[in-house]
Amino acid sequence: MTSSTGAISGVSVLVALIAVKLSHLQALMVFALVISVAFGFLGRRQPKERVKYILWTLLLFLLVGVGIGWAMYPFSR
Amino acid sequence: MAEETTVQEPLSPPQNARREALALVVGVAAWLVPGLGHALLKMWGRALICFFTVGVFVWVGAGMRGNLFTSRGNDAFDSLGYIADLGTGGFYWVARSLETNGPDVSHADGDYGTRFLATAGVFNLLVALHAYEAARGRKA
Repeated sequence: MTSSTGAISGVSVLVALIAVKLSHLQALMVFALVISVAFGFLGRRQPKERVKYILWTLLLFLLVGVGIGWAMYPFSR
Repeated sequence: MAEETTVQEPLSPPQNARREALALVVGVAAWLVPGLGHALLKMWGRALICFFTVGVFVWVGAGMRGNLFTSRGNDAFDSLGYIADLGTGGFYWVARSLETNGPDVSHADGDYGTRFLATAGVFNLLVALHAYEAARGRKA
């Protein structure tokens, strides 16, 4: 009985630890940041070029994401 | 960071076949464990970034209770989703074990999570292809 209660509380802790609550904008920003860094490392070899590529890709991801959001706004109601 | 050089000498046919076989092993390893392919090629920075990227996407996707597709899909979109999710390799089962409460796509969060999981898979397939090409001596 005690071990099953412990197992249940362990699962609850695990679920609480991995639970992620993000707004649409936060999800977009996390995605843009992580994928920009990854593309920068995969696509460029020199550190300076990588930083430039990461910043440029991040900016474009955010601009295009927010831009598409606004473009869809008239059709959202 | 010590990483692979790009231009290679022309190889004899047996060497070429050996390199092709090695590249295939590297590609499969990269798919099974994100970043392992680049680690085998001693591209440590890229290996870490790939592992971290796929890991974060799987964690966020599972944490938002995204839908992790199975082989028992009802339509073509389910099958495509399954292929995308399988792209994460071993992380597919990690995501499955993290989602103890199952998916919940009745809220927007679950829908975003589904996209994160699919992106993790497709990104890992791209990483595996990159490692394969690098192992073959192509520019990387």
